[in-house]
Order: sequence, then structure tokens, then C-alpha cells
Amino acid sequence: MRAQFVFHEVWIGLRRNLTMTIALVVVVAISLSLLGTGLLFVKQVDNTRTYWQGRVQLSIYLCTRSSVSPQCTKNGPATPSEIAQIQQDLKSLPQVIGLRYESQSQAYARFRQEFSQDQSFVSTVSKGDIPNSFQVKLKNTEADFPIVADTVENRPGVDQIVDDSSILDKFYKLLDGARNAVVVVAIILLIAAILLVANTIRLSAFNRRRETSIMRLVGASNFYVQLPFLVEGVIAGLFGWLVAAGLLIAVKTLGLDTLQQYFPFNVQLSATDLIEVIVLAMIIGVLLCGATSFLTLRRYLRV
Amino acid sequence: MIHFDNVTKMYPNQSRAALESVSLDVEKGEFVFLVGPSGSGKSTFLRLVLKEERPTDGRIHVAGKDLARLTNWKVPHLRRRIGCVFQDFRLLPSKNVYQNIAFALEVIGKPRRFIRKVVPEVIDLVGLEGKRDRMPDELSGGEQQRVAMARAFVNRPMILLADEPTGNIDPATSIGIMKVLDRINRTGTTVVMATHDAAIVDSMRKRVIELEYGKVVRDQSRGVYGQAY
Repeated sequence: MRAQFVFHEVWIGLRRNLTMTIALVVVVAISLSLLGTGLLFVKQVDNTRTYWQGRVQLSIYLCTRSSVSPQCTKNGPATPSEIAQIQQDLKSLPQVIGLRYESQSQAYARFRQEFSQDQSFVSTVSKGDIPNSFQVKLKNTEADFPIVADTVENRPGVDQIVDDSSILDKFYKLLDGARNAVVVVAIILLIAAILLVANTIRLSAFNRRRETSIMRLVGASNFYVQLPFLVEGVIAGLFGWLVAAGLLIAVKTLGLDTLQQYFPFNVQLSATDLIEVIVLAMIIGVLLCGATSFLTLRRYLRV
Repeated sequence: MIHFDNVTKMYPNQSRAALESVSLDVEKGEFVFLVGPSGSGKSTFLRLVLKEERPTDGRIHVAGKDLARLTNWKVPHLRRRIGCVFQDFRLLPSKNVYQNIAFALEVIGKPRRFIRKVVPEVIDLVGLEGKRDRMPDELSGGEQQRVAMARAFVNRPMILLADEPTGNIDPATSIGIMKVLDRINRTGTTVVMATHDAAIVDSMRKRVIELEYGKVVRDQSRGVYGQAY
């Protein structure tokens, strides 16, 4: 009885101000999907970050015959004994947790593989253009970089030292900026959604003032008077969430996954990531609509 | 059943009290007329009994409960023991007779089986047999008021408050309304009726409490509307 009665009242309420309900659903859907997109972005950036953190963080390029930097022209290409000395010194540093020597031919092979889609570019680079290098993995990039750099800098045979993370930082900044913009827009829209929920519920309360006044008169409990409105708000929120869930799936499969194919490395988001975001969006949507209608009603339906 | 002890009610921004030091008792099963000109405090009295308003001063007990001590969330339980009828009926236009009466039980969570049993009984009690599927706008004023009375009584309240129930109804139909109120009173329900209708008061010969400018100026058992000389 109770459930049937409540849902009947809810149905009447939603149907009576249909235009407001539709507006509410649309705004909730858009704000939730934007928020979800922001969250997916966060995850994507995190994924990319961990991918790179697990990889080379410091490259020490050695002089070759074709090097043009003043340091290399002074000392000539790195000799095997110089290379061996550098390797030994790097190994003895406690900050270094991984050390790999990449010869010219290895580096050239990797280059050809990574740019295999762009043969014209590959053909402009010859094996001698790519220097030998040490790929150094550090415990903590930011803190350890100067220490390690000091050890090998200006030695004969060392051309330049490159901190990979400084290159990536620019990329991260771009991603972070995009993510922040999405989140800010989402928050503004969520505020709009809150106001719309409040308005819709107020309208609904006004439409049903006769019913509610009789309910109070015959002694319906406050909860019972408020429940239809509360359910109304939550149902609108759920509909909005359903649309948002669809949009989020589209954002992932059509947006982020498509972008993925332009990157040579695999940082694709898993289905679990997507589900996590969708569930979070549902919780936010339902709480937002429920709490707003509850608080709005407390002002309009006093005993 | 209703006990007022030195009750004063001031509305904000008004110099005169709506009720001033009113003390009175209404016993269980009594039928009481509340008479007096407009603005004499009849409606304020009814609103105080329902705890729609709080007294400025004094104590009110209804059905053994001290209203000052009744918390807000218990007010609905008080109102379940009080039925209300108004001059303007206050029916839901989108619901038929049966649904209007059933609504009062649905919203307090009564089981459907119970509702199916008692609603037809009370429709018979107020004399609306065969009209359970009519909409309010298909009924006369007197019939609409019967529906309102059925709704007020369907939960078997201890007290029935009627605020000028015959105010919108012609005298001949009013007699029928009064018969229903009398029938409800005979089941043991206390009835308090605020009214302007002298003919009705005189014909019923029940207790009459007269208010003037917020004060009780007369309290007479088996009274009449006008002054007793």
C-alpha cells in the first residue's frame, strides 16, 4: 500500500510539471557526465604518469662522431674506457636503481620500431645520428636528478643529460589544465542542477499544496508528506544519471580510446575505471537531488 | 478531552489578543457549539487544539496530552485523533468520493484491506450510499460536506472539530449535515462546532460557549444562539 501510494503520487508529480522534470533530467545528465569526464581525465593522466614513472627517467647521451656540441668536438667520441668508467660510477650511486646501456644499433632499432608508421622520417635518420646512451632509473626523479647529473656532467665523452620528466611536465600541465577546466564547468553545472532541483520541487510542492495540507490535517507524518517529493527528486536524478552513464561510455570508447591509437604506448583506461566513475556519478547525482529536495521541503512543508 | 487553562493567544503585530485568559473544559462525548461574531476567536481556538498555533500563555491539554510538551514529530499522531471539517470542504477535485476518504487513511499508512472495509461503512454513515464513484464537482454542497465529514471521521477520531460546516450550505441541507454530526457524536466522539447559524444552535439544544473579543462571555449547557435573558 505505502509503496504503491507513494509511487502513484510521484508519478502525478513528475507528470504535472513535465517540462521542469525534463529540464532537470537534462541538466543533471550534462553536469554528471562532465564531472565524470573530468574524473576519467584524472584517471587517464594518472595512468599516463605511472606508465612513465615506471620507465626511463634520465638519459645520458654520449658523444658520437657526428655530435656537434663543443664538449664533444673538444674530446671526440666517447671511448670504451670512458664508457666503462661512467657506467661504474653510476652504478656506485645509491640513488640509481636501474642502469641500462643502449648502444647506437639498439637505439636505432627502437627508433625504427616506434616510428614504423612514418617511413619517410625514418629514412632521414641514419644509425650514426643516434648517440649511445645510458638510461638511468632513479629512486626519486626530482630530488636525485642534480646529484646524478653532477657526477657525470662535463666528463669527457658525455654529451648531454636529459631529464625525461621535464619534457613530460609540459604534457602533464596541458592535461591537468584540460581536466581542471572540465571539473570547473561540471561544478558550475552541478550548482545549476541544485537550483533546478530546488525549483522543481518547490513547483511540485505548490502544485500539490492541497494534498499536502490535507495530509497534514489528517495526521500524516512529516516523512510521509515529504517522501513523494523526495522520491521525485531522486528519480529525476536517476534518469539524469542514466543518460550521463551513456554519455560517459561514449566519452571513453569514442573519445579517450580513439586518442589512444595516436600514442605509441598503452595507457588505456580499463572498464573498471569507467564503472568506478559511473557509480560515483550515481552516488553524487542521487545524493544531490535527494538532499536538495529534502532541504527545500523543510522550508515549505513545516508542521 | 479538551482542557484550556488560562490560555492567551496574541498574533504578532496585533494589539488585541485573539484569545484572552480562556479557561474551559470539554468532556469526552460532549457536543459543543462555539459561537460569536467573526474575529471573536473561534478559529484561533480550533487551531490551538490542532497545535497549528502555539498559545502565548497558558496550558492546553488535548486527549490527555499537554500540547506544550508535545514534540513536533508527535503532532501528526495528535492530529490522527482529531477529525476536521471546514466551511470550504477541502476535497481533492481529482479524486472521487471513495478516493477522497481513502486518502486520509492511505497517508497514515493504513493497510489496504482495512481501507476497503471501513470506507464503505463511513460512506453509509454519512448517507452517500451509491455515490462512491462521483467526483466532487458532480456533488451538491451538502453532499461534498458529507464527504468531508466521512473523511474526518473515517479514522474514528476522539474529537471532531467543525469550523462553520454549514456556512456554505442552505438551511434545509444543513439539517442533514447536523444529523450526521449528531450521529457521529452518538458514537462517543466529542464534537466542537464553531458556527454563526442561530437556527441550528437553537434547534439542537446543546452546550453553547460564546466568545467575544477573545473572551468567554457565556458557557451554557442546553443553550441557544442569542443571549439568554
